[in-house]
Amino acid sequence: MTDKDAEQDVALLEELRDMWVTYDPPPPGLTAAMIAIVAAADLDEEWELLTLVSDSAHEPAAQVRGLSTARVLYFNAAAGWSLEAEIDGDQVKGQLLDHSGDMGSVEIALETSEGPSWTTGVDEVGFFALQADATGSVRFAVTIDGRVARSRWLDV
Amino acid sequence: MDELVAAMTPVLWHVVRAYGHDREAAEDVVQATWLGFVRLHQTIEDPQAVASWLITSARRGAAAHARTARRAAPVQDETLHAVLPDEESAEALAMRGDEAARLWGAVASVDERCRKLLRVVAFLDRPDYHSLSRDLDMPVGSIGPTRARCLAKVRDALTKGGGR
Repeated sequence: MTDKDAEQDVALLEELRDMWVTYDPPPPGLTAAMIAIVAAADLDEEWELLTLVSDSAHEPAAQVRGLSTARVLYFNAAAGWSLEAEIDGDQVKGQLLDHSGDMGSVEIALETSEGPSWTTGVDEVGFFALQADATGSVRFAVTIDGRVARSRWLDV
Repeated sequence: MDELVAAMTPVLWHVVRAYGHDREAAEDVVQATWLGFVRLHQTIEDPQAVASWLITSARRGAAAHARTARRAAPVQDETLHAVLPDEESAEALAMRGDEAARLWGAVASVDERCRKLLRVVAFLDRPDYHSLSRDLDMPVGSIGPTRARCLAKVRDALTKGGGR
């Protein structure tokens, strides 16, 4: 299959998705009803909406490279954007990728299981940097337009 | 938690509808999926996998419901549900005109397995081919090529239907 075929396939699949979304949408009240059902059960678990897809600590190459002490993490969000983050001692920096909306509304936080957290915004292309005394279990929390996506806990 | 439910409910809807259930039955299956989640969420070992757990559970629910419905109702009904848009959708299609109707017709003309695969895959950002392969009863390696073949069939049907 050529790249062009693959592109055409993706485009057709998108057309099909749009068709189903437009012509066979869920009943108007369904989402609200399901939220009510689940809310009534009062589950307290926090479900991860920011999924870790790569972690340099788990790559054999990290040992070979040897020079960098930074741990590089890459997350995908259910909403479609991604977060690349690098933790190097107390320096945490990275970039929010594939977010087409307003960068001004974005907040990146590093939270620790012990309580302290550090928060910063991103610049116009999504870069962020913060200084954090992060030890033990940490996770990233990205707030965009008031919606928070949290990652799983990671040991640093 | 509300965010998860809001994000996943429409996806589950389309996945269940892929199995050809009418809208009422599809609502039931989506609701049963969330009730199952409430009951079993603690057994989901890897929270990263929650979306795929939900989708798998919805697919199983949809497949089980289809088996029950097949026993209870004449087969034609089920086939018709899959092929014909719902009444309100049909109206919307008529308003919108040719292009959407042609696309709908093209999808309706391919076999059930293709239709099901395409609709499920269309709503997965990062399809989990392993669990799909179990549910659709296809080897993991053949899902990609099957998807391509099914899309080619739709494209073919569009060409035969005139235009493109």
